[in-house]
Amino acid sequence: MEETLAIFIASTLRLAMPLMLAASGELVSERAGVLNLSLEGMMLTAAFFGALGSWATGNPFLGVGCAVLAAVALSAVQAWLSVNLRANQLVVGIGFNILALGATTLLYRIIFGGLSREEIPGLPKLSVPGLSDLPFAGTAFFQQSVIVYFGFGLILLIWWMLNQTSFGLAVRAVGDEPRSADKAGIPVARTRWLAVLITGAMAGMAGAFISIADIHTFTENMTNGAGYLALAAVIFGGWNVGRTIAACLLFGAATALQFQLPAMGIHVPTAFLLMLPYLLALLAVAGVVGRLDPPTALTLPFQRGK
Amino acid sequence: MTVLALKMPDRRRLMALSIPFAAVVGSMAIGLLLIAISGKSVPDAIEAFIDGAFGTAFAVGASINRAVALALIGLGFILAARANLTNVGGEGQIAVGGIAATAFALWQPVADLPLGLAVIVPLLAGTLAGAVWGGIAGVMKVRFGTNEVISTLLLGFVALLMVYWCVQSTALLRQPQTSSSTLPESLPIPDATKLPGLTGDPESPLHIGLVLCLLLALATAVVLQRSTFGLRLRAIGLNELAARRAGMPGSLLLVVALGIAGGFGGLTGAIMLQGEQFYLKAGFSSGYGFDGLVVGLLSRGSTLGVLAGALFFGFLRSGGISMEIMAGVPAALTLVIQGLIVIAVAGSVILVEKLEAEQR
Repeated sequence: MEETLAIFIASTLRLAMPLMLAASGELVSERAGVLNLSLEGMMLTAAFFGALGSWATGNPFLGVGCAVLAAVALSAVQAWLSVNLRANQLVVGIGFNILALGATTLLYRIIFGGLSREEIPGLPKLSVPGLSDLPFAGTAFFQQSVIVYFGFGLILLIWWMLNQTSFGLAVRAVGDEPRSADKAGIPVARTRWLAVLITGAMAGMAGAFISIADIHTFTENMTNGAGYLALAAVIFGGWNVGRTIAACLLFGAATALQFQLPAMGIHVPTAFLLMLPYLLALLAVAGVVGRLDPPTALTLPFQRGK
Repeated sequence: MTVLALKMPDRRRLMALSIPFAAVVGSMAIGLLLIAISGKSVPDAIEAFIDGAFGTAFAVGASINRAVALALIGLGFILAARANLTNVGGEGQIAVGGIAATAFALWQPVADLPLGLAVIVPLLAGTLAGAVWGGIAGVMKVRFGTNEVISTLLLGFVALLMVYWCVQSTALLRQPQTSSSTLPESLPIPDATKLPGLTGDPESPLHIGLVLCLLLALATAVVLQRSTFGLRLRAIGLNELAARRAGMPGSLLLVVALGIAGGFGGLTGAIMLQGEQFYLKAGFSSGYGFDGLVVGLLSRGSTLGVLAGALFFGFLRSGGISMEIMAGVPAALTLVIQGLIVIAVAGSVILVEKLEAEQR
């Protein structure tokens, strides 16, 4: 029983990791007033280019670099469209998601073709010396892919940046009161740009985690809605880092049940277990845990003097 | 822009309208370029495309049926969009519509109904199921302030998994399992519940869904432009608070608008099932919801625009599938083209606004 629980915790962490990375990144940009519905597309693009980079160079760490670069490039276009061209952020996001699904599928067929589902060099799992042998906690926490430990570091960094630095203050200011922020001399456009790029970098890590650290290959549409779950987690989390991470862990746990319950001999229809994270997300965005207000200027482009 | 500075308001209006057109042409050019880069023969690909889209009576019928589905989703989209609502849940609404239509069509008393009711009842059941699915997002919006983009998307995932569930379980809609190779699909629906063909040509899959779609397009245009309901949707969309102050039932309107959009989606699912597919299987709605959404987005609220866009994407999809089979070009290329079109059109909004402002 204890062993099962430890494995359950470990797989929850593994499944929640891409959500946590993507959601904490998205949080920065939403606090700055830009919604990236394209999160799903960024993750899928990153998963593809990560796999490609890792396969081409034989080095999974270079693969992670490719993934982050690809997602940041995509987020730069998103930022240009959302901030400079004042395009409808929802529509642009939908466009990017369609484009990313089409482009990664197309490139995958062109490049890998017959070699489909070929294993790529993946990131090693890191058994933390001393800790991984601990009963229970060792299995649960300390036999994860290196990205998991690194990811928690990144998430802490984002929390610190948002809440403890002047850049974080600027981000929140342009997301809540862009007009006042502008008058106070905060560069609204530049701050939003940076925030979206940070989202891109984190979505890149999330995508890399899925293809390079977890599955060790690329498959078509492999993110399969994880980006949307991450978006729901931000809403569930009330635009607060800690609560958003908790929401991601909840979705991760719901997903982990798919593997855990059958292993324990409990038979629940697979379809219901697959549905569970989305149902929880629906309850979450319906405000079952109490309503929280989004940043005032979320999705509203800023134009001086208007 | 100097050319535009000429005092020719009509010409500017034309320019503003030509942006989606330019986006389409540009994106298709990029598509051809991608085919060339991938080392496939461009003429072969084009030939396969034309063959698959227009080549035979079957191809034309299949393309038009596809366009009917996209147009219905697009019509629902622009109705809700008039109230400033973005319905992204077409895919899921098609799915629940398909489930309901299958369930009713497979229920023997329905198949025995006279006077065409055997066809109509499943269609209505599908429509109603879709309307409920859309309405849930509406209720979430007015009760909890949930953005409909997120809720319709999440409801979409749930609906797709519901189809999967229905065809996995014999207690639901899966056909009786006679051997281990029984596919996870429903039984085929009885002939009495299938949509009648339109041409009499057994080669052509074209069915009366086309007539239904054109009637609904006309109805949508009239409702949007000539009815109080259309005006109210617009008022709510422009300024919800002002509309409420003016005594309009704001919450109800929002729920109804999303319910209608969902109803169009549910009807689409029923038509796809009763018109062409005839049995339910997982992923039967694949991509139609998003294609229809793109059609709605590009039409800029015009009913004629929806019909034109639906025809274009209907033929594009059919041609794309044929390109994959005959010329080895992945059909995902059509997704790339669609994505580029949506992004280009969304990004050119400032340009359009500028053009239209100059005109005044």
